Amino acid sequence: MVITEKVITLIPEAGYSSYDIDTEESVSLQLTGRYDSDLFLRIRKAADVTIHAALEESAKLTLLVWNEAGSEVHFDEIYEVNRNASLHVSYGEVFQGKTVRCTKVTLLGEGAFADVSSAVLTQTDKQFEITVTSDAPNTTGLMHNYSVVLAGGKYDMDAVGVITKGSHGSQSHQTSRSLCFDAEMNSRIIPKLIIDDNDVQASHAASLGRVDEEQLYYMQSRGLSEQQCTALLSTGYLMPIVDTIENEELKGILRAELEEKIAELCSI
Amino acid sequence: MNTLKIENLHVSVEDKEILSGVDLTVNAGEIHAVMGPNGNGKSTLLAAIMGHPKYTVTEGSIYYNDQDVLAMSVDQRSRAGLFLAMQYPQEIPGVTNSDFLRAAMNARRETPVSLFTFIKAMEKTINDLEMKEDLAHRFLNEGFSGGEKKRNEIVQMEMLKPSLSMLDEVDSGLDVDAIRIVGNAIKKLREETNMSIIVVSHYERFLDLIEPQFTHVLVNGKIVMEGDASLARKIDTEGYDWIYKELDIVPAAQEEKKRASVSLGACAVNRAVK
Repeated sequence: MVITEKVITLIPEAGYSSYDIDTEESVSLQLTGRYDSDLFLRIRKAADVTIHAALEESAKLTLLVWNEAGSEVHFDEIYEVNRNASLHVSYGEVFQGKTVRCTKVTLLGEGAFADVSSAVLTQTDKQFEITVTSDAPNTTGLMHNYSVVLAGGKYDMDAVGVITKGSHGSQSHQTSRSLCFDAEMNSRIIPKLIIDDNDVQASHAASLGRVDEEQLYYMQSRGLSEQQCTALLSTGYLMPIVDTIENEELKGILRAELEEKIAELCSI
Repeated sequence: MNTLKIENLHVSVEDKEILSGVDLTVNAGEIHAVMGPNGNGKSTLLAAIMGHPKYTVTEGSIYYNDQDVLAMSVDQRSRAGLFLAMQYPQEIPGVTNSDFLRAAMNARRETPVSLFTFIKAMEKTINDLEMKEDLAHRFLNEGFSGGEKKRNEIVQMEMLKPSLSMLDEVDSGLDVDAIRIVGNAIKKLREETNMSIIVVSHYERFLDLIEPQFTHVLVNGKIVMEGDASLARKIDTEGYDWIYKELDIVPAAQEEKKRASVSLGACAVNRAVK
């Protein structure tokens, strides 16, 4: 289904469904997670995109937001996850348009779970600010961010894990990795943990680096051109995000789209 | 066809000259052993032929099949038929052995290798090198033991079928059984393809398996002595001292050792004074 209206209210059905956003205007998406739903959201064109999703008790929502807009899109996203509900959000950002994204996930009820992941392959500006807040006991907030920054690309990631006072037994873990092929190294990751309770588990890991010259030499010595090495290394870097998705259909879409785009961008 | 011709090769690393005029000709199907004490330029020679970016050729030429190797990029050299089994193979996390090898095979073919042909060839090679079956799905050299990495170099060689293979101490880190497996695989591949080999090794056992017909001794960045297989055997039993005496030379590594012992002595004196 193609979304062209300014405001749309959705209660995704159980199982898989997909929507395309294709408009010059701004779009506001009001989502209610009620069942066990897998949603594929493809942004072909839009100005600003606002997503407000509320997951009801014990609901399960897996959302893949695939942005293939050629122009700049601002995303403002709020997710509220209630008791025992489970949210998976994955972002695919491998197209030419600039992206500015602010995502706020709040785990409101006991036992709530959220996993936010992103795969970025860029020759342009991609800015992210993702906050996952545990605001109830025994909740789990995870983040996995993988990015490959090609020549001319710029990547900014603020990854914030918050556990509020009283949210005992909660977990907040995040991993962010960025691989730069550009000598300028325009990549920045700021991992943050803001913890206000004692009985919690939290961790962050961030790595940011250029491709190792020795690795490149090793691969080239087997006959691969620099572009082919870039493609193989990028595939290796971004594919782990596919495994964060459970739904086989969404997995397949993400894997195929990533492979196609990597092959295209890295052969330039 | 398939002749490697090196003339007056000078190679520097960070402005320090390592090779000072090497001449070497390897004809199709020939097996050459390059011997010499550590730190005298054996690995540098092989790396310079392959095109490692750290090594700068300041003078001389390398031709393979009448093509100017020095004008070629590393990947072009590989596609021209050169292969270097490295002393320290790199670990590449995220890239599986099978994806890597398939890409490398396709890089030298007009039409891509079919999945079926590739899997069959991979299975056979893994079997030949007696490696674990999950090799294809593991990330390239990541978490491999030293011996597994060396065997994986030979897996790649067998899959890519180069016309000239350079083996840089590929036997170090291998136990007796693994040396036999690797040696036999190389020998078999040579019988099939008539590839030429330049081998750097300190072990007679390995050289016995590879059977080099020519031996070159590299000291201080120059080939100081050349001979047939008997020279390699003589070095194995008698070492290099007789060569140093005969030619009145001191190898680079020994000079460094002398300098090092001076500073150690100075430290010991300092400690004694305190």
